[in-house]
Amino acid sequence: MRSGFYLFFKKSVSRRKGRIVIAALSVTLSVAMVSGIIGMTAGVGAKLGEELRAYGANIIVSPREGNYLAQDVAEKVSRIDSVRGVSGQIFGTSVFRGQPIEIIGLDIAKLKDRGWRLQGKWPQNNGEILAGTDLRSQFKIDIGAKMHLPGGDIGGDFVITGFIERGGTEDSALILDMPDAWTVTGADRQFSAVLVRAEAGRLDEVVQQIRRMIPQAEAKTFRQIAVAEESLLRKIQLLMVIVTVVILCAAVISVAATMGANVLERREEIGLMKALGATKAQINIFYRAEAILTGLTGGVAGFISGYFFTQAVSKGAFGSYVPVPFYIFFISLLFGLVISVTASYLPVRNALKYNPAVILRGE
Amino acid sequence: MSFIILKNIVKEYGPAHALRGVSMEIQKGQWVNIMGPSGSGKSTLLNIIGGLDTPTSGEVFVEGIKINALSEDDLACFRREKTGFVFQQSHLVPYLDAVENVMLAQYFHSMADEEEAVGALTRVGLEHRLKHRPSQLSGGEQQRICIARALTNDPVLLLADEPTGNLDRENTKMILELLKKLHSEEHFTIILVTHDPFVSQWGERVLMMEDGSIKSDAPINP
Ligand SMILES: Nc1ncnc2c1ncn2[C@@H]1O[C@H](COP(=O)(O)OP(=O)(O)OP(=O)(O)O)[C@@H](O)[C@H]1O
Ligand SMILES: [Mg+2]
Repeated sequence: MRSGFYLFFKKSVSRRKGRIVIAALSVTLSVAMVSGIIGMTAGVGAKLGEELRAYGANIIVSPREGNYLAQDVAEKVSRIDSVRGVSGQIFGTSVFRGQPIEIIGLDIAKLKDRGWRLQGKWPQNNGEILAGTDLRSQFKIDIGAKMHLPGGDIGGDFVITGFIERGGTEDSALILDMPDAWTVTGADRQFSAVLVRAEAGRLDEVVQQIRRMIPQAEAKTFRQIAVAEESLLRKIQLLMVIVTVVILCAAVISVAATMGANVLERREEIGLMKALGATKAQINIFYRAEAILTGLTGGVAGFISGYFFTQAVSKGAFGSYVPVPFYIFFISLLFGLVISVTASYLPVRNALKYNPAVILRGE
Repeated sequence: MSFIILKNIVKEYGPAHALRGVSMEIQKGQWVNIMGPSGSGKSTLLNIIGGLDTPTSGEVFVEGIKINALSEDDLACFRREKTGFVFQQSHLVPYLDAVENVMLAQYFHSMADEEEAVGALTRVGLEHRLKHRPSQLSGGEQQRICIARALTNDPVLLLADEPTGNLDRENTKMILELLKKLHSEEHFTIILVTHDPFVSQWGERVLMMEDGSIKSDAPINP
């Protein structure tokens, strides 16, 4: 950059602080919305995938009638070729301090390494359980809390060794190892569902086989469930794209109005610069730099407010924070730049067309 | 060959004729004043000679360059290399101080040089007003910044459109004396537009314009 550029740019910007702040604010608002939307969509998508990976399963077997499957269902399924793992789960309710509480029974040992967020320790012994993170505040309980849960003949006494957070129904449930869960739910040796991990290429085959072998059970691949959810997600994404485009257009218009006023105010300056022998490109660079400054400022501020916006919304809507990928930061900067550079393009191009002789004649 | 040659310059604004075929020559180093009633085309002529405006038809040569045929960027280059402008409204940048206003002209010419800008302001007697903004200065002082700004890049041609139009007699005289001194030292060519008969007596030659044409062209006898 030619020596002196920084001096004149700085002076001109500090002279027009108000305008630039307003323009940057428009950019901030729209970038916040857009990065929030992208962050949320990406976060929800990631969550969906996580949901499916959480149990490492790709087929779910559930009872066609009644609430439970017999334990031998799991054994039968596990004998099918191409089935690599099987784990039964049981869902039920119990009562704690007079309030109903959800119970999920499963093989806790199989949960490790599945990316569950755990505070505390994994249960080691009978009578040790995990609690969903929402219960912590609901019942004001902490690690080490003792719980008596009625159920079956005598119920059971339990100790919480850790809290888990998954952003799903697990967050408000108690997670018990299978034998404990059977005691509490009274569904001895039965399962609410059996999760199956089968060879990826042979899912349909396995599903057909399960249906044939166990007529009282319904088998579905997670894909079938996921496809339904994904198509919903895709509709949401389309909606979000439309909203994003509308927001961007609104931002470009509002920034263009500010830039237009800015340029109009500087007609005389532009005429003078031309009289001093400045080329269009030399004058343009000041406005381009101003637009870039506005865009970057708005982009950074928009990313930060968008981040908090996303978290607030996702906490409200999904009950947990979604992870905001770091690339959203660069997308925010990019959007900020695109908005302000696009918005300033036309007003500046028009301003550069002014005939200096006409502007400077002055009245 | 003359320093400036105009051949049959016509300037039309729609149906209106600002200039109706002006031809003349100006020698290098000459100080020429242009007079005439309002609307007679003085500013238009000055702007066309300085490459700030382009004629509808006709040819303009400055130092042998046919400037009416230049591209927009080449014309900008011509202005920064060869000319300096002073206007009635000083057209100073309000948020820059005196030195910075002069530096802006240097910046577009080549590079901003504070020392040189201070030198230019010292030559016009403003060494005690370097850090003042235009709004903190009198009209005469503002015009002196404009002269410093116009001359800082050593132009061969100084174009002044009613530079004393907003000044009282005392300040007018001060500006003219300053121009005279600088002109005698640096031998640039001056073309100066004025309504004021007092001002028109300075310099070497007076052109009278009327309705887009030159009515008379006479030397000033000292
Ligand atoms: N941009 C323009 N659009 C239309 N007409 C114009 C324009 N500029 C100048 N004119 C017309 O051209 C004619 C000459 O204008 P010019 O400014 O050269 O006159 P002038 O002699 O400098 O007048 P003054 O003494 O008032 O400054 C006038 O009739 C003016 O109305
Ligand atoms: Mg005029």
